[in-house]
Amino acid sequence: MEWRVARHFDYALLLLAAALVAYGALLIYSASLTAYPDGIAGLSHPVAKQAMFALFGLAVMTIIAWMDYRVFGQMAPALYALAILILIAALFLGESAFGSRRWITIGGTQIQASEVAKLLTIVALARYLADRQLQITRVRVFLTSLALAALPAGLVMAEPDMGTAIIFGAIWVGMVLVAGARVRHVLMLGGFLLAAIPFAALAVLGDYQRDRIALFFNPNSDPLGGGFNILQAEISVGSGGVFGKGLTNGSQTQLDFLQTPTTDYIFSVLGEELGLVGAVVLLALFTALLFRAIRVATLARDQFGRLLATGVAIMILFQVFINIAVNIRLLPVTGIPLPFISQGGSSLIMLFVALGLLQSVLLRHRQIEF
Amino acid sequence: MDPYLAPKRERGRGKGEPPGRRHPVFAVLRALVILLFGILVVQLVRLQVIQGDEYAQRAEINALREAQIPAVRGLILDREGRPLVLNAARFSAAIVPGDLPERGEMGIFQQLERVTGVPTEEIERKVLAGIEARGPFEPVVIKPDVDEETALVLRELEPVTPGLKLLMEPTREYLAGPLLSHTLGYVGAISEDEYGELKDQGYLVQDHIGKTGVELTYEPVLRGRPGKKLVEVDAMGRELKVVSERRPLDGSNLVVTIDLDLQKVVKETLEEYTAEGDNAAAVVMDVRSGEILAMVSLPDFDNNMFSGPVSDEDLTALVEAPGKPLVNHAIAERYAPGSTFKTIVGSAALQEGIATPSTTITSRGYITVENEYDPNVVYKYDDWAALGALDFYGGIAMSSNVYFYYLAGGKADEGFRGLGEARVARYARAFGLGEPTGVDLLGESAGLVPDAQWKEDTIGDPWTIGDTYNFGIGQGDLAVTPLQLITAVSAIGNGGKVLTPHLLREVRDGHGNVLQRFEQSVRRTAPVEPEYLQIVREAMRQSVTKGVAKGAAVPGIEVAGKTGTAQFGPARYDGSYETHGWFVGFAPYDEPEVAVVVFFQRGGGGSDAAPAASTILDYYFHGPQLAQKPEEGQ
Repeated sequence: MEWRVARHFDYALLLLAAALVAYGALLIYSASLTAYPDGIAGLSHPVAKQAMFALFGLAVMTIIAWMDYRVFGQMAPALYALAILILIAALFLGESAFGSRRWITIGGTQIQASEVAKLLTIVALARYLADRQLQITRVRVFLTSLALAALPAGLVMAEPDMGTAIIFGAIWVGMVLVAGARVRHVLMLGGFLLAAIPFAALAVLGDYQRDRIALFFNPNSDPLGGGFNILQAEISVGSGGVFGKGLTNGSQTQLDFLQTPTTDYIFSVLGEELGLVGAVVLLALFTALLFRAIRVATLARDQFGRLLATGVAIMILFQVFINIAVNIRLLPVTGIPLPFISQGGSSLIMLFVALGLLQSVLLRHRQIEF
Repeated sequence: MDPYLAPKRERGRGKGEPPGRRHPVFAVLRALVILLFGILVVQLVRLQVIQGDEYAQRAEINALREAQIPAVRGLILDREGRPLVLNAARFSAAIVPGDLPERGEMGIFQQLERVTGVPTEEIERKVLAGIEARGPFEPVVIKPDVDEETALVLRELEPVTPGLKLLMEPTREYLAGPLLSHTLGYVGAISEDEYGELKDQGYLVQDHIGKTGVELTYEPVLRGRPGKKLVEVDAMGRELKVVSERRPLDGSNLVVTIDLDLQKVVKETLEEYTAEGDNAAAVVMDVRSGEILAMVSLPDFDNNMFSGPVSDEDLTALVEAPGKPLVNHAIAERYAPGSTFKTIVGSAALQEGIATPSTTITSRGYITVENEYDPNVVYKYDDWAALGALDFYGGIAMSSNVYFYYLAGGKADEGFRGLGEARVARYARAFGLGEPTGVDLLGESAGLVPDAQWKEDTIGDPWTIGDTYNFGIGQGDLAVTPLQLITAVSAIGNGGKVLTPHLLREVRDGHGNVLQRFEQSVRRTAPVEPEYLQIVREAMRQSVTKGVAKGAAVPGIEVAGKTGTAQFGPARYDGSYETHGWFVGFAPYDEPEVAVVVFFQRGGGGSDAAPAASTILDYYFHGPQLAQKPEEGQ
């Protein structure tokens, strides 16, 4: 790769991601004050760990940006197999957390399997759809792509992690539409799924998922049990008002009323301490980041790159939406991290890998014109 | 064909070809970002702006909890300043349901079971009932009154066990126990009813409150004013810091009028002279101030029993025990006063001009009254002996029934006009009978002063001359409490002042400064000239020196008094009746300081009550070095 193409590197995308990580670090710091009252005293502090993951992620991003993304396209079948493998491993060998098996340990490091599998599935889907860009209107190709997404989604659902399964679904819908699938097909499938919801609720959903959905509609039915989180998150965000109570000054956050305040409920911390203003700033940053990602899709030199960028953008968009919606009681509880903000290595590193892919697509988009 | 090698194809927008940079699908994607984030912003505005204040309030309620700082309950001292009660602590294991961890509550219950022995299921049941009744933040007592060792273990566990709470309940330790149980009463956990009534005054469900006696009457003084603190708590319910605080105002100390030593002697004396009766009672009162120096009701109970949880069996046993130990017989039960009432009839007769000191009436042992319709029917009213000719002094001193039949009912055939039932009743009431004395204890009986109207209304029969005769000697339907009787007779001693007897002498703060002192309070003035009262006193003095109350004499002290042996219940097979034994009197007779009333539910006035009163008065005047009583028969 020649150095002159480096001018195509999207620094704005990188800066936006860095801003989000920094924003997240502030919130993690505030949310972990109760557990670490002395502040950042060592490398075991969540903020320090998050910073190290970010630096490592940055390095990985650079490497991947430098690599030709098409290499991943060629490796797609193997990567897809790997995705399925680690999901199955998580299911049978995984570490349990909050009632679901999501973690596998590789070389002493815990990895959240679905975070890795999400990106690998995007690569595989992009490859499959790019290969068949002229046959996408055929039902067989359409359904095969669905099957490619449905298999990992089903495994994730079995962990159980309904939220991530929904993300898989959103990624697939977005990617097939960009690939040129017939809107009619997607709508028909949507109608079919809608009709199946009552049966799914009975057959597929576990007890805990049904409870969660029931609690969502009436959290007061068990205010000290499962409804506690929902209610406390809602109170946290609402009590923040327009300007918030100030970083590290939120009573809900600092007095332990929020569970997992550095991960799934980090938005409640933001809502309480930084208020509506802080939330709008966050959403503005995400909007800018997503627009940069969509720009990559529009500039991609080939269908594979375009689908890759689309998949990444949709993945981030839906994670942000679902995570925040859960925090503000628009959706039932489901454990999805807030991209770049929530504490967690797997998620952060995979996001930087995704950014690396976007940069790689971008760096090569005009190569042909020279 | 390899799409990667044919990039130009993308730009030609043929059917089925992939979209370019301005393809609407990307516009849709951007629109989707705006739409989804827009939904979030709308909900955020709803929560944070429109309902923001409401949520802010809820966050505050979450984090702040109001707690009461109990005030130290006031102590009670006897008139010499000797403490009668101490504040002590009792520990209970409790659960604050709202502070239990989300999923680990069974673990906490099991831990509590190991420490206290209360089964997990029972704990769970109690907790659920507690939430149901009083919400999740009121502590639910799992095991009351744990021993000190358990309390120590619980105190260690408390900071690391969310939801567990070691409750420290203040209790009272009554140093004199049964000796003052009726007077001091006791403190107990507030009942549901009391709580409903008093919660506006800041009482809490777990509060303790005076239940009877002085503890009840002076509850507001003893309680003080509890303080309040606003504490910040975390999600586990741990107190982090005190946000604001109002210090409690400790209760004031009470100095009661009781003399502990005298009380002891009175009780021992009563026990000594009680033969077969269920009850006995005695009151010693300062005739000048109305201060009650001693008040004993037998049988008694140990009020310390109520400091801990009382089992139903224990309580039932106490309530059903013979002689009703929980009842203060000195104020709550009424009895016929018998001949002691002659002092009041005598005062009335002098005042009304029915008798003078020299009015002489001869007792042949009885008087007769003819039936007003049939002269052949003659009713006979007995004296206790044929006492012969008696003047006023002799009439009282010898306690002649005949003499008082004349004074009360008259003797129509001899042209002797008596007081009549209405005037006897009027004077009885003027001396404070038939109404509560107003003593600072609850549960006082009003007694009963009958008259023609009362009999008509209640029994439905007309009043007869015989009723008046019985009335005149303190029999029939007349009924008084020992405290009423001593208050009435004290009025004879102190020149006509019917005082309100009282138990409270002073209210003091924690440093011993007197905040309030209780002086004499005159409830009524008996409408009898002092010179007549002086005559009655003289007659009562003679009763002790040479009459039927000789047993009450105390060497060196001029005791004046009157005995009473009042018949009650149905006649026995030999025509006799069971009798209450009474003595009421004061000393020294010319300038009385102290009055005493002694009552035995079964006993004689002269044989039991008078000597008991003698012992009590002897102690009052001579202290522990009792004057040598003359041996019987010497």
